[in-house]
Amino acid sequence: MNAFLYLIFTSGRNRLMTALRRVRSPRYAAALIVGGLYIWSFLLRPNSGATGISSLLGQPTEMIITVLLVVTLMGSWVFGSDTTALAFTQAELSLLFPAPLSRRALIGYKLTRAQIAVIINVLIWVFILRRGGTVLPAAMRAIAIWVLFSTLNLHRLGAALVRSAWREHGAAGSRRNRWSIVVFAAVALSLIASLIGARVELGAVHSTGEFFTVLGRVLSLPPASIGLYPFHLIVAPAFAQTPAGWERAILPATAMVIVHAVWVFRTDTAFEDAAIEASAERARRLDAIRARRSVGAIAPPRSAASTLRLASVGHPALAIFWKNMLCLRRTAQLRVFVGPVTMAIAIGAATSGAGMDLGAVLAIGALVLTGMLLLFGGRLIRNDLRHDMQHLPLIKSLPIPPGEIVIAEVASSALPMALVQMVFVAFAYVALLASHSNPFGGNVRLAMLLASPFALLAVNTAILTIQNATAVLFPAWVRLGPVVSVGVEALGQNLLATVATIFSLAIGLVVPMLAGWLVVTFTVSSQTRATQFGVLIVTASVVLAIETYGAMRLLGRALSRAEPLQTA
Amino acid sequence: MITVRDLTKLYGDFTAVRSISFHVGAGEILGMVGPNGAGKTTTLRCLGGIISPSSGSIAIAGHDMRDDAIAAKRALAFIPDEPHLFEYLSVEEHLRFIARLYGVADVETRMPKLLDELELSEKKRALPGELSRGMRQKLAIACGLLHEPSVLILDEPLTGLDPGGIRRMRETIAARAARGAAVILSSHLLNLVEELCTKLLVVRRGEYVAYGTIDEIIATHPELAGQSLEDVFLALTSDAKGGTAV
Repeated sequence: MNAFLYLIFTSGRNRLMTALRRVRSPRYAAALIVGGLYIWSFLLRPNSGATGISSLLGQPTEMIITVLLVVTLMGSWVFGSDTTALAFTQAELSLLFPAPLSRRALIGYKLTRAQIAVIINVLIWVFILRRGGTVLPAAMRAIAIWVLFSTLNLHRLGAALVRSAWREHGAAGSRRNRWSIVVFAAVALSLIASLIGARVELGAVHSTGEFFTVLGRVLSLPPASIGLYPFHLIVAPAFAQTPAGWERAILPATAMVIVHAVWVFRTDTAFEDAAIEASAERARRLDAIRARRSVGAIAPPRSAASTLRLASVGHPALAIFWKNMLCLRRTAQLRVFVGPVTMAIAIGAATSGAGMDLGAVLAIGALVLTGMLLLFGGRLIRNDLRHDMQHLPLIKSLPIPPGEIVIAEVASSALPMALVQMVFVAFAYVALLASHSNPFGGNVRLAMLLASPFALLAVNTAILTIQNATAVLFPAWVRLGPVVSVGVEALGQNLLATVATIFSLAIGLVVPMLAGWLVVTFTVSSQTRATQFGVLIVTASVVLAIETYGAMRLLGRALSRAEPLQTA
Repeated sequence: MITVRDLTKLYGDFTAVRSISFHVGAGEILGMVGPNGAGKTTTLRCLGGIISPSSGSIAIAGHDMRDDAIAAKRALAFIPDEPHLFEYLSVEEHLRFIARLYGVADVETRMPKLLDELELSEKKRALPGELSRGMRQKLAIACGLLHEPSVLILDEPLTGLDPGGIRRMRETIAARAARGAAVILSSHLLNLVEELCTKLLVVRRGEYVAYGTIDEIIATHPELAGQSLEDVFLALTSDAKGGTAV
C-alpha cells in the first residue's frame, strides 16, 4: 500500500478505535446514544413527506449560492488565503518533510487527506437534501456535491500555495495579487451592472420570496451570468432537478475539478522553479514556507507591542479573562464574519426589495446579523475552554477553583459577543427611529432595546456554556484549539453542531420562559404590552442566567476531574 | 512541606503508580529517578493537582490536595518537561498573568530580577512562538519561580537548556532549597541528581524500589556499595527477568 494511504487508513482506523473505546465510560456512552438519536432524527429518519428543503434547490438559490461562492473565493484571494488549506500537523512536519518526498507528493497527500472531510460533508448534505423528496437519485446528488466541495477545497489550496509563493517574492508578489483583484472586480462589476439594470424590477416586488425569484432571474442573465459563468459551472450539478439536467451539468463541473487539480500541481511546479532560480536561498525559502504551514491552522498572533493592563492583585479569575482578551485581540480574524455579514446584507436587501424604507432595511439587516452572531458566534470565537483544554496541565495547576475558571473562560467569549450584538441592536433601534415602518410600536421597541442586554448576555452565556461543556466533557471527541472551520466543505458538520446547540438551548429555555410567563401573568398582566414584554424577557433572562451559572459550577466539577490523557 | 501517603493512580486496569509514600522537608531536594514509564510524571502531576490520585493523600505545605487544593496549589510551582505556554501572551505578560493568579503585589520588583536571572530580559516582549525551545523552558521556569513557592516540583526541568542555562538552573534550584523551599526534581541526568539532591526516590513500574539518602539506600543494598549512582540506578531498576528497563 502507498505510504500515504497507509498513514491515512491506519490513522483513521486508530482514531475511530480510540473514540469507540471511550464509550466504555458511561458519559461517552450516553453521548453516543444521544448523538445517534440526533443524527437519526436529523438525517436518517424516514421521510414523512416533502419538506421545504426541495424548494431550496430552485434557480434563485442556485444563483445566490453562486454569488456566495464568488464571495468565498474572493476572500481567499483579496483578503488573504485560508491557511488551514496548507496546514500540516507537527508529526507530518517532523516525519514527512525531511523524508525523500517531492512537494508535489506532499500536496497530493494533503488533498487526499482533505477528501475525508469532503466525503463526510457530502454524505451529510445528501441526507439533508434527501429529506426534501427531490427526484434526483442520491448517488447523482452525492457526486454533484463532491464535485462542488472538491473544487472549493482545491481552489483554497491553490490560492494558499500561490499566495505563499507571492509572499516569497515580496513586492513582486503583491503586484501579482492585483490580477486576482482585477478578476474578482470584473465579476463584481458584472453583478452590479445587472442589479442596477434591474433596480426597477427589484423595487417593485412585494415579498421576500418574490424578491429572491427576481434576483435569481436577474443573476442568470447577462452581464451577471457572464461574470458568474465559471463559478456557476461548479454549482450547477448540485442544483440539478432531474437526471437529464444533472448529466448536462456534470461534465463541465468535472472539467473544473480537473482544471483545478492541474492548476494546483502546476502552481507547485512554478514555485519550485522560482525557488531553484534563487538556488542559494532555496532551502531557506522552503523552510520559511514550511514553517508558515506549521502554524497554518491558526493565524499567528500579532505583535505583543501593545497590551492591556492587569493589576497584580485582585480576583485571580480575572487574569484568565484578561489573557483571553489578549488572545482575542491578537488572533481575531475579520474573515470569519464574512458569512454572517453576507447573509445579513442579503436579507436586508430582500427587505429593501419588499418596499421598506432605508431605516427599516438597516434595522432588519442589523437584527439579522445579531441573530446570526447569536447562533454562530460561538463557532467563530473560541477563546475559551475549547482553546484552553489544550493547556489543561497548566490550567489545572492554577490556584483558582475550577468553577471560577469555567466562568472566566465562558465570559471571555460571551461578553465580547454580547457586546457586539448590543451595538447592532442599538443600531437597529436608532435606524427604526428614522423609519416610517413601525411594526411593533414605539413602546415595545423601547422595551426590546432595554431588555436586550439581559437577553443577549444570558443567551450568549448559555450557548457558550453548552459549547464549552462539550470540550470539557468530551475532549476526546471534540476538536480542541482555536481552529475555526471556515471551509464551505465543513458546512455540513457545522450545521449539525449548530442545530444540536440550538436544541440544547431550547431545552434550557423551557423553565425560563415558563417563569417569565408566570411572572407576567401574576404581576403585570394589567400593564401595557411593552411592559409585559420587557418583564417577560428580563425574567426569562435572569432565570436562564441562574440555570447557566449552575451549569458552569457543575462544569467546574467536571473540569476538576478532567485529566490530560483524556484530551489526547 | 510535601507529604505523600500511599499514593496510587489507576487508569482502568492499569496501575500507573502503586502505594508510594515519601516526605520532603523544607530545604530538602528529593531526586525522583526511574526508567521511562515508571510513573514519575504521573506522580508529579498528582502532586501538582493536575490529576487526582485514585487513593492516598498528598499534603503540600500543610494543605491537603484533595480538601484544600487552592491553598496547596498557591504554595507550589509545577514546572513540566514540556513548557505549556499561551502562544498569544508575551514573556512579560505571562509573568503578569501569574502575578495576578498568585497575588504577587511586588511583581514590578521581582520581574526584572527574574528575567535577568533567566536571561529573558531582552525577550520580554516576545511571544512564545518567537522563542527557542530553551527560552520557552526558561519562561516556564520563570512563571514557576515568580511567586516564590515554598514547594517546587520540577519534571525534567533542564530539557532544552544550553550548558550555561543548565548551570544557572542548577544554582537556582540549590538557592531556592537553601532559602527553605522543598524541591522534587525528576531527571534522567543522574550527575545532576547526585549533585543536588539530598535524598532519592527510585521508582520502577509505578512502585518505589528505594527511598532515602544515597547512604541509606546503599545500607539497604550493601551489594551496591562503592558503585556510581548510574550503576546503582541500573541495578535498582533492572528487570527481574534480566536486562534493564531503561
